[in-house]
Amino acid sequence: MSLLKVQGLTKTFGAIRAVDSVSFEVKPGEIYGLLGPNGAGKTTTIAMISGLLRPDGGEVFVAGASFWADPQKAKRIMGVVPQELAIYEELSGRENLEFWGRMAGLAARDAKTRAAELLEALVLTERAQDAVKTYSGGMKRRVNLGCALLHKPKLLLLDEPTVGIDPQARLNILEFIRQLRASGTAVLYTTHYLEEAETLCQRIGIIDHGRLLAEGTLGELQERLGGDRLFVIEADFKNVSPDAWAGFRERFRVIQKTDQHLAVAAIGARDPSECLKELLGLPVRVENVTLKRPSLNDVFLQLTGRKLRE
Amino acid sequence: MRRVFDLGHADFRLFLKHKSAYVWLFVVPLVFVYFMGFAARGPGDPFNRTPPVLIENADTNFLGRVLWEELNAQQMRRWSLTNREPAARVIRIPAEFTANALQLKPTKLRLLQRNDSGEADNWLIEARLLRALIALNGHLLEAATASNAPAGMTESGLREILAKPEPVSLRTRFAGRQPVPSGFNFSLPGNLVMYLMMNLLIFGGTTMAAERRNGVIKRLMTCPITRLELITGKIYGLMLLGTIQILFFLAVGKMLFHVNLGANLPAVTLTLLLFAWVAGSLGVLVGSLIAAEDRVAGICVMASLLMAALGGCWWPLEIGPPLLKTISLCLPTGWALQALHQVISFGSNWAQVTGPLAVLLGFGVVANILAARFFRN
Repeated sequence: MSLLKVQGLTKTFGAIRAVDSVSFEVKPGEIYGLLGPNGAGKTTTIAMISGLLRPDGGEVFVAGASFWADPQKAKRIMGVVPQELAIYEELSGRENLEFWGRMAGLAARDAKTRAAELLEALVLTERAQDAVKTYSGGMKRRVNLGCALLHKPKLLLLDEPTVGIDPQARLNILEFIRQLRASGTAVLYTTHYLEEAETLCQRIGIIDHGRLLAEGTLGELQERLGGDRLFVIEADFKNVSPDAWAGFRERFRVIQKTDQHLAVAAIGARDPSECLKELLGLPVRVENVTLKRPSLNDVFLQLTGRKLRE
Repeated sequence: MRRVFDLGHADFRLFLKHKSAYVWLFVVPLVFVYFMGFAARGPGDPFNRTPPVLIENADTNFLGRVLWEELNAQQMRRWSLTNREPAARVIRIPAEFTANALQLKPTKLRLLQRNDSGEADNWLIEARLLRALIALNGHLLEAATASNAPAGMTESGLREILAKPEPVSLRTRFAGRQPVPSGFNFSLPGNLVMYLMMNLLIFGGTTMAAERRNGVIKRLMTCPITRLELITGKIYGLMLLGTIQILFFLAVGKMLFHVNLGANLPAVTLTLLLFAWVAGSLGVLVGSLIAAEDRVAGICVMASLLMAALGGCWWPLEIGPPLLKTISLCLPTGWALQALHQVISFGSNWAQVTGPLAVLLGFGVVANILAARFFRN
């Protein structure tokens, strides 16, 4: 059974439809990545799942029960890590963890014990007594993450938890999240970092302009582009259209075309050398051809016509 | 309920982490209590002022001493001859006072006024001097009648008459209006009310605004905690802060400024706690309505100073125009001060402060409802 099931979630702010009929599920022990650029609707989706916003349409089910039927019960099952550092900077790391543990419903003694465990796990024990305002960005992010874990939530909602930190600190946090997943926690992870989604998530949903454009495992998403090969041709494509090349569209799927580049994926199981030969034979002056594995960015490019970071 | 306490305690701990909190909770109000109390000081209690007088008795004979005693009986606060400075007036009894009286010759007593002394104190001293002289003349008349000749009057004969119970006595008291609290009796409740309002408004408002900005309120709302618990916890934390200030000032007022807190300390405490609840609720309300912390701080300072001035914290409402009194009835500061002055300065009992306390309760309920209504994450 899914720990989180989102069905046709919709939210409108005035004339803007921030989230438009979004549906997905997250199972225990799974990290589901919601990948999309800033303003795609990721945070609004998390706000509706965690009860901060009432959806205009659709339903959220947590552990099989409708969220709004008993919000307090659903909130006890989940932990939420917001994008911003929503912690008390004047309090120490330990005080923060204990406070948020108590807010999650733990008794004082349990909160103390769990805080000590988490400080150890997050490698913060040495600085546990210091005020959070004296911590580095990475340490603050770890405290921010830890504050949602005191009550051992079965479902963890992470809203871009690695924004603005150095690569090493990011790797540490990602590793910690993998451990959580191994312990059976269901994780909904929103990000606009492709690498994070590719390396961390079992399944990925691509969201843009409030709509979930595609979802699946990395392999399934790559499959949409025609397997695991992508050809990028560098040439002058200014006054050229692939439609003019007889049968080209039947054999290749055009992912992106600019004045200087043409990215295509072969349709069906074809020998790459044959494909390469055919591409080199196109009626343009080819300067370079690259064969690569399609990335999530290519998937995003194919779905939206633009790169994720544009 | 446990989460309400946890929230309140966390907020209280956060307030105390700010060094500036100590300055605004204790140091600044204390300085204001001292200076305002010093400026508005008046000797004695508000029912019976005793302005200081210097009595120079040059008469070594018995009538000089009797007049001196009569002046004492009129509650003149005598000042020593070696420390003349604080005296508002000087009464000079001439050396020939007894001799002249026994020879039925008129004698001039000198009443000297200091230029910088207050008009009210001068009138009071004159009235008491007149009363002392009337009393002395009455006793002299009685003694003269008894001995049939003033010249034969002796100190023992006169004292015998003085020792007799007065056949007629007149007891006076303020009528129609209450006396005006003065000195520390005025400055302590006034400043406590003003700084309670100011601190709880500012701490409440800026904390709410800051926590909304950095996402803490949103995060709290993702916890299994209800909106009501959250607001109550926030107000409870502010009330803890207010309680610390109240206890500190009542203790300092009693021990350092020797303010008589009246016989009904529970009523004083309840009034202040109710007022802290009102101020805390208003703080949460302001923090919910206004987003920017600096704007919240500015508005809270302005609002609390205005409420303090119009509520009677800066000057007694009795000396202002009637409109000021009417305005004060619209403000929690006005009702809190009314209850405090009743209990501290006028010795009122529970029944007499029920009205102001009920109004404060009403302010608290309304402020609470509004804070809950306009609460935003």
